[in-house]
Amino acid sequence: MKPIRRVLCCLSLALAAAGAAGADEPTVLTMPRYAQFDTLDPVQTFSALSDQLLQSVYSTLLNYAYLERPYKMEPGLLASMPTLSADRLTLTFKLRAGVRFTDNPCFPGGKGRVVTSDDVLYSIKRFADGRLNDKTWWAMKDAVQGLDAYHAATLKAAPGVDLTGSDVAGLRKVDATTFTIRLTHDNPLFLYALAMTATSIVPSEAVRFYKDRFGLNPVGTGPFHAEKELDRKGVIRLLKNPDYYGVYPSVGEPGDAARGLLKDAGKRLPLVDVLELPLIEENQPAALKFLRGEIDWRFLDRANFAKLIRRAPDGSFAVADEYAGRFGISYTTAPGIVYVALNMKDPILGGNKALRQALAAAIDVQAEIDVLLNGRGRKLDSIVPYEMPGNERDTGAPPHRKDLALAKKLMADAGYPGGAGLPPLTMSFYLADSDTRNMFDLLRAQFAAIGVQLNGSFQDVPAFLKATGAGNFQLAYYDWTADYPDAEDFYQLLYSRNVTPGPNMGAYANAAYDRAYEASRLMADGPARYAYFKTMNALIEDDAPLIGVFDPLRFGIFQKWVGNFKRNPLAIENNYLRIDPVAKRKGMQ
Amino acid sequence: MGAYVVRRLLQAIPTVFGVALLTFLLFNAFGPDPVRTALGNHATAEAIANLRHQWGLDQSLPLQFVDFLRQIVTFDYGRSYVTGDDLGTQLKSGALVSLSVTVPPFVFGAIVNVSIALFITRHRDGIVDRAARALFIGAMSVSALVYVLALQYLLAFKLDWFPINGYESGWAAVKYLALPWLIQLLLLMGPDIRLYRTLFLADIDADWVRTARSKGAGEGRVLFRHVLPNAWIPIITQNVTTIPFLILGSFLMERFFSIPGIGNLTIDALSRGDLPVLKAVTVLGALALVLFNLVNDLLYAVADPRVRLS
Amino acid sequence: MSSVPAASHAKPRSAAMEALAALWRRPHVRACMLVVLAYLLVAVAGYAHLLPDHEAAVGDAQQPPSWHLATLLGTDILGRSVLWRVLAGAQTAVTIGLVTTTLAVPFGTALGLAAGYFGGWVDAIINWVYSVVVSVPDILLITAISYALGKGLTSMCVAIAATSWVSIMRLVRGEVLRHKGSDYVLAARSLGAGSRRIMFSEILPNVIHVAIVTSSLVLLAAVKGEVILTYLGLGVQDGASWGLLIAGASQDLTNEIWAPLLGTVTAMFLLIYSLSAIGDALRDVLDPRLA
Repeated sequence: MKPIRRVLCCLSLALAAAGAAGADEPTVLTMPRYAQFDTLDPVQTFSALSDQLLQSVYSTLLNYAYLERPYKMEPGLLASMPTLSADRLTLTFKLRAGVRFTDNPCFPGGKGRVVTSDDVLYSIKRFADGRLNDKTWWAMKDAVQGLDAYHAATLKAAPGVDLTGSDVAGLRKVDATTFTIRLTHDNPLFLYALAMTATSIVPSEAVRFYKDRFGLNPVGTGPFHAEKELDRKGVIRLLKNPDYYGVYPSVGEPGDAARGLLKDAGKRLPLVDVLELPLIEENQPAALKFLRGEIDWRFLDRANFAKLIRRAPDGSFAVADEYAGRFGISYTTAPGIVYVALNMKDPILGGNKALRQALAAAIDVQAEIDVLLNGRGRKLDSIVPYEMPGNERDTGAPPHRKDLALAKKLMADAGYPGGAGLPPLTMSFYLADSDTRNMFDLLRAQFAAIGVQLNGSFQDVPAFLKATGAGNFQLAYYDWTADYPDAEDFYQLLYSRNVTPGPNMGAYANAAYDRAYEASRLMADGPARYAYFKTMNALIEDDAPLIGVFDPLRFGIFQKWVGNFKRNPLAIENNYLRIDPVAKRKGMQ
Repeated sequence: MGAYVVRRLLQAIPTVFGVALLTFLLFNAFGPDPVRTALGNHATAEAIANLRHQWGLDQSLPLQFVDFLRQIVTFDYGRSYVTGDDLGTQLKSGALVSLSVTVPPFVFGAIVNVSIALFITRHRDGIVDRAARALFIGAMSVSALVYVLALQYLLAFKLDWFPINGYESGWAAVKYLALPWLIQLLLLMGPDIRLYRTLFLADIDADWVRTARSKGAGEGRVLFRHVLPNAWIPIITQNVTTIPFLILGSFLMERFFSIPGIGNLTIDALSRGDLPVLKAVTVLGALALVLFNLVNDLLYAVADPRVRLS
Repeated sequence: MSSVPAASHAKPRSAAMEALAALWRRPHVRACMLVVLAYLLVAVAGYAHLLPDHEAAVGDAQQPPSWHLATLLGTDILGRSVLWRVLAGAQTAVTIGLVTTTLAVPFGTALGLAAGYFGGWVDAIINWVYSVVVSVPDILLITAISYALGKGLTSMCVAIAATSWVSIMRLVRGEVLRHKGSDYVLAARSLGAGSRRIMFSEILPNVIHVAIVTSSLVLLAAVKGEVILTYLGLGVQDGASWGLLIAGASQDLTNEIWAPLLGTVTAMFLLIYSLSAIGDALRDVLDPRLA
C-alpha cells in the first residue's frame, strides 16, 4: 500500500475505534431533584416533582407537544387523536399497535407485554378508586357515565378489595386496541384529564406483584425504566427503554429550526442511555455542582441568576458573557400565575371595595419582577397566563399599572385618608425563605407609600393551608399553576362554588361572574368565549379579589454539551435531550 | 442489680407517657391539618372526609390518643402520611445513616478532646491555657450554620477538597461524609474541651493527687494515672447520654449535605405536616434517652463502687 | 483610743457589687463587659427610634462595601444598608436574649427551689416534667410550641425558654439539696421560720450563683438558637435579625458577596464571646467551691 494510503487507513481505523469506544460509553443525563417525591403510583400523587419522574417512566393516552406553542395535545399511547360522536358524548380511542410494557419480574418470564384496551380501562378504574385517589379524582368527576357510581362503590368497599372487574357503563372495550368512553355531558375539558400523569397506563400485574411497594417500582411504557426499586433519597437511575414508541418531533415553532432544535426530527427517543436524578435539596450545593459540570441542566434560582444571566436592553435574557461559552438557557412564561388573594370575608377588606382597589393600585408588580426576580416575570393584566389562549391579548384587557395618586384617592374614598384609622393588615406566605421575605419587604414598602401598614406571617405549607382553608387570613401571597392549558382553570379560582376547601380561598362570590364562568366553561376558544372572559376580567378589576398578578418565567440552564433543550413546563425535557459525550468529558472540570 | 433495672424501667413509664401526651397534644391538637396538606389545592369536602377517616383523624381526640399509645407499645408507628412508606423501615435505615454521620466524629472527638484537655490542664494557667480558652470560646461564638456555609463554600467548592454534597451507601459514603465529620469535630471541640478541662481541674488539687505529686510523680504522670481515671465517670456520663442524640442525627449536616438520615427526615416531616413521622421520632428519641440514662447509671455503679444503686 | 478598725467605717458592699467589682478588675473581662454594654445601648437606642432606619434604601441594590458609614458593609437586594440591618439585628438579639432569660431563669430557679426544698411529691412531679421535656428533641418541642402559639418573636422566646429552664432547674435543685441540711437552715427552722421564708431568704441567696452563671449561657444560647430557628422558618418573622441575615447570606456567597455574612458573624461573635467570657468569669468569682 502506498504510504499515504496506509496512514489514511490507520487514521480511519483509529477514528472508527474512537467512535466505537465513544458509542460504547453510555450517555448520561444528570438533572437534580430538589425534593423527594412521595410516590410514583400515578393515582396517588400530584406534584410537579412526581410529574417529572412519571413522564419519564410512564405514558399517557395524550401528551403535550414538546416544541409547539401554544401548548397543544398530541397522541401519546394513542395512534391518533380520539374521534367524537355526532351527539358529542362518545369518544372513540385507538391505541398504537405493539407498545410494550418494559421487562419486569412482575410479568411471567420477566418479559413485558403489549398494552391493550384492558390496561387502559384498568388504569382509569384505578384512577376512580376513592380509596387510592383523593388528589386527582376531581379531573374526572361527573364526566364519565357510571364512573361516579364506581367511585362511590370503591369508597364503601374494604381496603384491598379489587373492584376493577366491575362494569362501568361509560367505559367500553371494542377490541384489543380500541375502546370508547361515554361522557355525561358535552365536555371539551375532559381530554385534558387523559394528558395528566395521574391517568398513566399501568399494568395490573405490577400492582398485584408489588402491592404497597408499587409506588417505588414503576412499570410503564415510557422512554426510560427503572433498573431496580427507586431510592427516594439518593440518586435515581433510569435506563433507556429500547422499545419506546416515541420519536422526536418534526414540527416546532418558527425559529426552532434555526436554533437547532429540529436536528433530531424523526429519531427514536430517548436520545440518552441513562437518566440520573440525584436529590439535592439546597440551592447552593446544586448551583456549585452545576458550575463544575457535574449536572447537565437545572432550573435557575434567584441567587445564581444574577451571576449567570444578563438582561439585554430589549428585555430578553442571555447567558452572561463570562459563561457564554459554557452554558445555554431556554425560558418561557409559566402556565401559571402568582397573585395576592384578598379575603372577601374579612371585616376590613370584605365590604370595602375602594380599599381593595387602592391596594391593587398601590402594588407595583413590575418592581416586584425587576427587583426581586431579576426581571423573570411578566406583569399580567388579566388572570390568564401570558401564553395561554384567552390571555390579555386575546381579550384586550386594560393594562394594570401602579398609580399612587389613584391609590391615595381610593384610600380616601375607602374612609382611610392617608391610611388614618386603618389597622395594620397581615399578608400570609407559605414559605419563610429569604426570597419570600424580600418580596414581603418590597410589598410592605409599596403599601407604606399609601399609608397602609403591612405585617407578614411566614408559615409553612401545612399551616398556610390550614389557615387559609379556615378563612384565617387577610391577604395571602399565592400562586396557581395550570393543571391543563385552558383559561378555565384560572377563572375557576373565583367561582363561588369553589370556596374552601376549593381554590377560591378568598371566598369571592359574585353572581354575574358565576354566570359568565358557567357559560364560558366548556366553550371552545374563540371570540364568543373571550367575550365572557372580558366580562369576568372587568368584574375582577372592579372587585379586586386578586391583585398583583404576574406570570413568572421558567428558566432552564444547561451545559453546552446538552442538545435539544427547550423549556417546557408540561412535557418533561429529559425525554428529548441529547448529550454529546465527548464534549461532556472534556468540559467537566 | 436486676431489681434496680426493673425499678428504673418502671419509673420510665410515666416519662414516656408524658412524652406521648405532650407530643400528641402539641401535634394533633395544635398542629397543622395533615389532610389539607396532603390534598393541597384540589381538596374537596368529600376527599377530605375520606382521608380523615382513612387516617383515623375523625375519631375523638381521646380515642386517637389511645391509638397512639397502642402504637407506641407495639412499636408499630404506621405509615408516613406523605410517602405511605412503613415508618419502621424508614426509621431503621435513617438511623443507620444518621449514626454514620454522627458517631465517627463523636468517638474520634472524645479521644482527641480528652487528650487536648489533658494537655491544657498540664500547662494550666500559662499562655497555652489562656490562649486555648480564648480560642475555644471564640470558636463557640460562631453559629453552626455559619460553619457549614463557609466551609462548604471554601473547602468543597473553592478548593475542591471534598464533594459538595451527596451520599452513597456502603463504603463510598466516606468521601461524602468527610466534610460533615470535619465540621462536627470543629463544633465539638470548644464545648467538650472546656468541659473536660473543668472536670480535670476540679480534682487537680485533691488530696490523693497531691499525695502522688509529693511522692515525686511528674505532672504528666499525675494527670494520666491519677486525675484521668477519676474523671472517667463524669466523662462517660456526659458521653453516654449524648448517644440518643447521635441517633437522631444532625439535621443541619444532613440538610446541607443531602444525607438521608433521621434529621433530614424530621425536617421534611416538619415542613410537610407528616405527623406520624414526627410523633415516631419524638417517642423513639424519648425511649432511647431513657434507655441510655439507665445504661449510664449502671456504668456509673460498675465504675464507682461507692455508688449505691438505691 | 479607738479600737475600731478604720475599715469598719466603709459601707459593706452587697454580694452582687462584690462580684461586679471582681469582674471589673480583670482587664479581659472588663473589655467584654463594655462590649455587652455597648450592645445593650444599641438595643435601647433601637427601641427609642434612635437607630437609622434599616428599612430605607440607601443606595442601589447589592452594592459592595464602600467607605461611607451607611454602606460600610454594602447594600442588600432592596438597596438597604447591611450595616444598619446588622445593628437592628443586634437589637433583636438582645431582646431575644433578655426575654428568654427573664422567662427561663426565674421559672427554672423557682421550680428548682421547690423541688429541692419540698422533696416528696413536689419533687417527683417536677422531675417528671423535667424528664418529659428533656426527652423531646429541642427542635421538635420548639416547632410544636410555635404551632400552638403562632410564629414570631415572642412565641419563639417562649419556646426557647421552654427548653432552657430545665438545666437551671436541675442545677438549682442540686444546690438546694446540698444546702437543705446545713446548719443555718436548721437554725432558721428551729426559730420558727416558715418554708417560704427559708427558701427565699436563707437558701436562695446561697444557690443563686448557679442561676446567675447559667443566665449568661441561656442568653447566648438563645441568640445562637435564633439563627438556626430562622433558617428553619420558625424564628423572627419581621424586621431584621441575625438569623435572617445569615440565611440570606448563603445565596450571596455563591455570588462572591461576603460582606453581609462577615458583618453579621462578627457582630454575633463579639456579643457571644463577651457573654461567654463573662459567664466563665462569673463562675470563677461566684462558685465557692472554686474559690
